[in-house]
Amino acid sequence: MWEYLHNLWKRIRWPKPGLVVFPEIFEHFQELLQNHQQVMELIADLGEKSGGEYIFDRKYMADTVDQMHTLLLHMVQRLNLITSNRYLELHPALDRIFVPLESELRGRLSLSGEMPLVVSLAEAPLDRPELTGGKANNLAVIIRNLHLPVPPGFIITTQVYRLFLEFNQLENRIHAWLESWAAGEKDEDQISRQIQYSILAGVVPQEAGVEIKRQADKGAVHWALRSSAYGEDGELSFAGLHESLLNVPPRGVLKAYKKVLASLYSPDALMYRQKMGMLGEDTAMAVLVQELVPSRVSGLIHTLDISAEAVDCLVIYASWGLGRTVVEGRGPVDRFVVERDYPHRIRHREIAAKETLVRPHTSGGEEVEEVSPEEREAVTLSEDQIHRLASWALTLERYFKRPQEVEWAVDQSGQCFILQSRGLVFSKAVTPPQQDICQSCAQYSVLVRDAGVVAHAGVGAGVVAQVSSDLDMTRFPEGAVLVTKYTAPWLARIVPKAAAIITERGSAAGHLATIAREFRVPTLVGVEGATEFLPEGMKITVDTKSRIIYDGRVNELLQYELVQSLAFEDAPEFRLLRRLLSRIAPLHLIDPTAPDFTPQGCLSIHDVIRFIHEKAVEELMDLPGLVKRFKGVHIFTLVSDVPLGLKILDLGGGIDPEASGSRLFPEQIRSAPMKALWEGLSGPGVWSTDPIPVDFKGMMSSLSKTWVETPGAAAAAVSGFNLAVVTETYMNLHLRLGYHFNLVDARIDPDPQRNHIYFRFVGGVTDLTRRSRRAQLLANILSHYHFKVDTKGDLVVAKVLHLPREDQENRLRILGRLIGFTRQLDIQLRSDEDIPEFIEAFFEQNTPA
Amino acid sequence: MKDQLTIMVLDDEPIVCKRLKPALEKLGYAVDTFTQSVEAMHQIHQTAYDIVITDLKMKEIDGMRFLEEVKKQHPQTEVIVITGFATMETAKQSFRKGVFDFIAKPFKLNEIQEVVNRAAAKIKGAAV
Repeated sequence: MWEYLHNLWKRIRWPKPGLVVFPEIFEHFQELLQNHQQVMELIADLGEKSGGEYIFDRKYMADTVDQMHTLLLHMVQRLNLITSNRYLELHPALDRIFVPLESELRGRLSLSGEMPLVVSLAEAPLDRPELTGGKANNLAVIIRNLHLPVPPGFIITTQVYRLFLEFNQLENRIHAWLESWAAGEKDEDQISRQIQYSILAGVVPQEAGVEIKRQADKGAVHWALRSSAYGEDGELSFAGLHESLLNVPPRGVLKAYKKVLASLYSPDALMYRQKMGMLGEDTAMAVLVQELVPSRVSGLIHTLDISAEAVDCLVIYASWGLGRTVVEGRGPVDRFVVERDYPHRIRHREIAAKETLVRPHTSGGEEVEEVSPEEREAVTLSEDQIHRLASWALTLERYFKRPQEVEWAVDQSGQCFILQSRGLVFSKAVTPPQQDICQSCAQYSVLVRDAGVVAHAGVGAGVVAQVSSDLDMTRFPEGAVLVTKYTAPWLARIVPKAAAIITERGSAAGHLATIAREFRVPTLVGVEGATEFLPEGMKITVDTKSRIIYDGRVNELLQYELVQSLAFEDAPEFRLLRRLLSRIAPLHLIDPTAPDFTPQGCLSIHDVIRFIHEKAVEELMDLPGLVKRFKGVHIFTLVSDVPLGLKILDLGGGIDPEASGSRLFPEQIRSAPMKALWEGLSGPGVWSTDPIPVDFKGMMSSLSKTWVETPGAAAAAVSGFNLAVVTETYMNLHLRLGYHFNLVDARIDPDPQRNHIYFRFVGGVTDLTRRSRRAQLLANILSHYHFKVDTKGDLVVAKVLHLPREDQENRLRILGRLIGFTRQLDIQLRSDEDIPEFIEAFFEQNTPA
Repeated sequence: MKDQLTIMVLDDEPIVCKRLKPALEKLGYAVDTFTQSVEAMHQIHQTAYDIVITDLKMKEIDGMRFLEEVKKQHPQTEVIVITGFATMETAKQSFRKGVFDFIAKPFKLNEIQEVVNRAAAKIKGAAV
């Protein structure tokens, strides 16, 4: 293969006179497009697997990464063949991405030095509890995925723990002590004392110490240090076994760190680990250092009432001051029983006579004091705060798929914070013994069975809330089931609030599905007629694991899922998959004119294929250059009233086979996407109702002349003419209208999974403000048609994926009209207030879907 | 409650067992899972399962030997083989006989549920 490519390369580089290699170049281009498509499909497949509908194993992940590697090597070679080796730097770029991917798969990444010693909570790598510990990993997820307020801070990772043991030569000694305890030679108090003493006397290695001090010196005046051991807050609770130190001044952080480490070997912790049969296992502790919230009120929430008085309620425990009063059960506290269902009515409140409170001592540490007489029997939380905390706790439960125990605090100004969230530990006796789950579910009436495609597996229940425009979004009730026709990208904002999602259209590889997986919301897409048979306000239970929608709330099933079933999202294989995906799927290279649109700027596999695709297309766009290089290319000029001077290059099946000469008529177009777009572009009223009071053709030609001379990055890429490269199912159209530049790349295949429309729009004749206005207008209109739109200045990038043929065609027609409609808009958009008027005008002519 | 069918799942990747168990329990089956083929082998000498779901490529005991043993001990047990896509064809060729069905990994929960339900229908049909 390599030899073949090499020979071919030689022929391209030194073409013999008269030798036509252009078709081969196109063959490479087409194969490159195919490889691009294959990689996109593999990425989509991997993404789908993270939704939990599939059973997969490590081998599958390794095989997929391997296939991607092979395809990308081919793509890099092909691009270099097409472009005379201008992108050899893609090879090191591939290595930068694949080397860590492959070490992830071998489970070796933590040894590779890529893992940080100390990292801020907001930037901590997700899905690495072996590095950051369970507690810190949860908090990082809460900050990044759920956007709930958590006090800022940093993590001293398990890497530092290992360094510390090594540096102080503690590993073998601890091991020997533990053995002598296990052999019954010494009791746990003696052993604990010895180990703890040697840890406290140890020295934190300088490389870590410097980092810790640097972090401790910025931000808060005082810190709270908490253990975050691997396994803690996961399946095992370790609740209260490890030390937390509050109100630590920056200079005290190193010492406090050692104290928290030492608590791994307290007599209680040792007994617990022995009881759990994990004494011999490798222990590693990360320590979480957070700004101390000098709380006015703090406490706990149990999302499941373990006193089992009310199964449909959660319980909030609250008291004055820092959290110890509640967490350590130091005295009577307030208790609020709150309904789990929105709007979270408070069913019952018990206001205790609160005796003591813990507060930060001015010189560090904590102090206990009496509660003042007027506050003893005062209510600790306002109704508003209770609702907010309840809704956060349920968000956490929905996300972690387990009943939660949430630590929270309210500061002096009344602002609420989440301090921790962990799986609630309760005896199985609390939950009534499970009947056969299959029999229990059989008692409920099923609304629909085996409908749709699973985007994220799980079970959720709530009232149906139908959303059809972004106006509906603000009134979307927390914990409702989102039912909608399309998977429009603007729905992303309500995904975290939804208990489940059902859509009529869309695919498991689409944007909304990706978001649903990020927030772990059970999602079914492609459920025909859902908006009709699931009316607003109806109570339903959605089981996407079995693809069943039940009428009403199936409590047994919900409880089974919450208590019995595996939260697959937290299984090591799923964590690994998500870590792989984070190096594969995100697209960072959006704007081809940005300075980082380079091989070096490629951070993910998606970036690399985007880059290659763009550069390959760009190369073909330089038609005069190509034509000069290759003889015998047949290019048609489209004959039409619409004065575009459009050239069409057919790569197979895109035009009438009877066509000859150099002229082509619109009715001879066979390419499905080209046909649809052209119908829009040349439709009645699109070009003739000319809003510009000058002779249109004259202006177009004058604009065309000056375009090439326009300074700016966008101009550089376009030195040719308007060109469409088509096949029967594919179109890549570069269109320059006046000063702005449209790119439409689309495929219409019988299999919707292969379909996409990609639209890029940039440039304009006026100042950037007006051009940005037009970008806003486009973004607004496009998102009504369910495009996912990104804008940056005057650049608009919109895409839509996996729609069936008819929907694709409709959208391309709309794009055609939009291209016509907006061609001169920047001139007319004098102020932001003009935008709605123009949007209205467009919708008047084109009813949104 | 004798009409509850019993299923053994054997796969050395724990994730497969962890996910299959609840998925099949929800359909009303009693499910035992094993990640160690030696233990599973021991178990089939003690208990007759209605359905056995096994991977082919495993450490220790080879999946093929395992299912031969299952069939020898309990000829009426229906065996479902789950295997990687690459080894699918060889698996099919060597085991056309005696295996109820093959499923290539990765597979959807629905797919295996459907195959298991078919196997169950066959067993119940035979019992009538």
